[in-house]
Amino acid sequence: MPAMRYREALNLALREEMNADEDVFLMGEDIGVFQGAFKVTAGLLEEFGEKRVRDTPISENTFVGMGVGAAMAGLRPVVELMTINFSLLALDQIINSAASIRYMFGAQVKVPLVIRMPQGAGHQLGPTHSHCFEALYQHIPGLLVAIPSTPADARGLLKAAIRDDNPVVFIEHETLYGRRGEVDTDDDEPLRFGQAALRREGDDVTIVGISRMAETALKAADQLASEHEIQADVIDPRTLRPLDLDTILASVRRTNRAVIVEEGWPHGGVGANLAALISEQAFDYLDAPVGRVTGADVPMPYSKPLEQAAFPHEEHVVKAALATFRDV
Amino acid sequence: MASDVLMPRLSDSMEEGTVLKWLVEVGGEVKRGAPLAEIETDKANMTYESDADGVLVEVLAEEGQTLPVGEVIARIGEQGEAPGGRAEPEPESEGAEQAEPEGEAGEAQAGEAEAREAEAEAEGPGAEAKEAEAKGPEAEEKPAKPQREEGERVKASPVARRMAGELGVELGSVDGTGPGGRVVKSDVEAAAEKGGAEPHAQAEKPAEVETPATVEKPTDDEAPATDETPSQSEAPAATGGPPAPSTGEAGPKGDPEVIELTRLQRTVSRRMAESKATAPDFALSLDVDMTLCIELRQRLKEQTEHAPSFNDMVVKAAALALRDHPKVNGAYRDGRFELYPRVNVGVAVAARDTLVVPVIRDADEKSLGEVSRQARRLIGLVREGKITPPELSGGTFTVSNLGMYGVERFTGVINPPQAAILTVGALMKKPAVDDRGGVVARDLMNLTMACDHRILYGADGAEFLAAVRKLLEEPLSLAL
Repeated sequence: MPAMRYREALNLALREEMNADEDVFLMGEDIGVFQGAFKVTAGLLEEFGEKRVRDTPISENTFVGMGVGAAMAGLRPVVELMTINFSLLALDQIINSAASIRYMFGAQVKVPLVIRMPQGAGHQLGPTHSHCFEALYQHIPGLLVAIPSTPADARGLLKAAIRDDNPVVFIEHETLYGRRGEVDTDDDEPLRFGQAALRREGDDVTIVGISRMAETALKAADQLASEHEIQADVIDPRTLRPLDLDTILASVRRTNRAVIVEEGWPHGGVGANLAALISEQAFDYLDAPVGRVTGADVPMPYSKPLEQAAFPHEEHVVKAALATFRDV
Repeated sequence: MASDVLMPRLSDSMEEGTVLKWLVEVGGEVKRGAPLAEIETDKANMTYESDADGVLVEVLAEEGQTLPVGEVIARIGEQGEAPGGRAEPEPESEGAEQAEPEGEAGEAQAGEAEAREAEAEAEGPGAEAKEAEAKGPEAEEKPAKPQREEGERVKASPVARRMAGELGVELGSVDGTGPGGRVVKSDVEAAAEKGGAEPHAQAEKPAEVETPATVEKPTDDEAPATDETPSQSEAPAATGGPPAPSTGEAGPKGDPEVIELTRLQRTVSRRMAESKATAPDFALSLDVDMTLCIELRQRLKEQTEHAPSFNDMVVKAAALALRDHPKVNGAYRDGRFELYPRVNVGVAVAARDTLVVPVIRDADEKSLGEVSRQARRLIGLVREGKITPPELSGGTFTVSNLGMYGVERFTGVINPPQAAILTVGALMKKPAVDDRGGVVARDLMNLTMACDHRILYGADGAEFLAAVRKLLEEPLSLAL
């Protein structure tokens, strides 16, 4: 299996799906001539032409709205937003239109729209470019939400998103674009939404990592094993809507402990939601309150040391996992 | 032991009630069936009678306070019993499994099932005592290990509690190795391996068991939220009203006197707005020649002290006509027509700053005299403030009369979900044209009917109204 970068895997998925289906087309700021702010769309304008790779003005609400309309009219648009922060400008189209239209019109129309965008801190881009909003989008009925953390998942889930008839919020991560990983390019089957990946197996504690934090959780698990003789299950849910709660619950029932790791804010976060679900459905299996590791409850700082301190690293996850065993 | 007095459901539609007045003082004797409090429902003010004998130990709902149905408003106990405390479990959240805080009773009744539930609940000494008893007689033999303060709750994880129950391990005897000394799964497993069940009764019994430790408390963080009973959050509804611009200088309209609505007034405002907002209504109007009715009434007056009024005659005529016009006696509800087999005519009565509509049931089958007697009785009850919800419910049609004020004609607001409301104007001499084209004075009375067009169309309403007029113009038929 060839190894490729996360951005190349996304690029491959777009190319494959555009070749397979003429209705698939791309829209977004600087995705054509400039080949995308993170070079995900490199080479696609040349290959597919201006009709299917369209540069748009800086007008998120408008071109997401165009995506909704195009999807309703039968095309399969893939809209790129430069960061997830900018998607807030298009929230009306995403929530009031994309997520609701099929429901409002009794399934007479569908909205097969994909909205791709990266999130995440670590590049000193300040509060308007660095946030994580998967918690916000997982809140909305009518949307599917993907949070791929590996090149293989990025390709597999993007292919699934494009082929799905529902609007998909596809959340990439700025730090992950350069990560390399093996991708089985011979396998054209998309991944299934709602199927978590068990990245690592252990019987002592369940660690769930969201988006880039799946990677952080994995490193923390290695540290727990080598320094504390604690073996962790590490689960990457891969999609938050639908959510593969069964895999998480099965693990927690075995380990009796759970820690959720996310980069977003603590209040009403992914961890808060999962902690509630686990307490409701696996209460009698818990040996400790569900632990949460989250970003700091502040707008993302610009200063490098402050920014580094404002999102979780391995040591935070290790500490939270240990706290489910003893006083730390 | 004190028992709770809950806000009673005094009418079908009652969701909350206001305690107007306690009729027994705290410490006073309460008798089953004797008046305990006056409670205002959405329909009327009612006297609520006690379900139990005893002493009013504690009053939780102050006079004027509004609480949802089912909330505790007072406690009735025995002479000398202290109020307060939560010895009694909260009725809705805690189940019967921890119902007996008093050891003797609790143990005497602790069967297998109860003990199991107690385990699952994760309890303090109360549950342990029961649990131990259920496990077997040796329970009583071993003394308690003085690990914790008496009455202190064992800190154990949910899975440890569950397994302790399954493996027969007494949680209080296990050393916890988790954070803060919490007993965790591995502790229970180790204890089970070491000596299997090492159950011990906590058990000098009653005294310690009376502590409220058996009440599973939410976490501190959550406590304020749970303590905030609906009563508190509903308080604004009762005391709120429009924002009073009374502070500072008065506006151009002067400093307003702000009047809070009573429950009845709130019901009237809600239902009238609902009617106008949902029912597409239209009105039909005609004049009735009352000459023969006047004559009939005159002759009845000679027979009885309480001759039927003209309004009684309208009610009776309407009732007879309703029998032949089922849609007028029906309702449009949720996209369907409901046609009612019984003809129950409501009569709007103004009283005490509000408006109520007592109902004369089966008015079509009652004689004119009976309709009249019922109407007089119901109006009397309204005026005395003694009307009760059953007498206000079940109406299928409404008659409203403002003739006594000299109002010639007016249109009512339909009382939803009824199909129509008939309004009666003043009986007065008016010029009319007779058969030969001459102008004569006639005793005329206007009838107007507002109809819900979703169920009643123009012709339906007109036919009905014409039938009422025919009955009133030949009033002997009212006796049929």
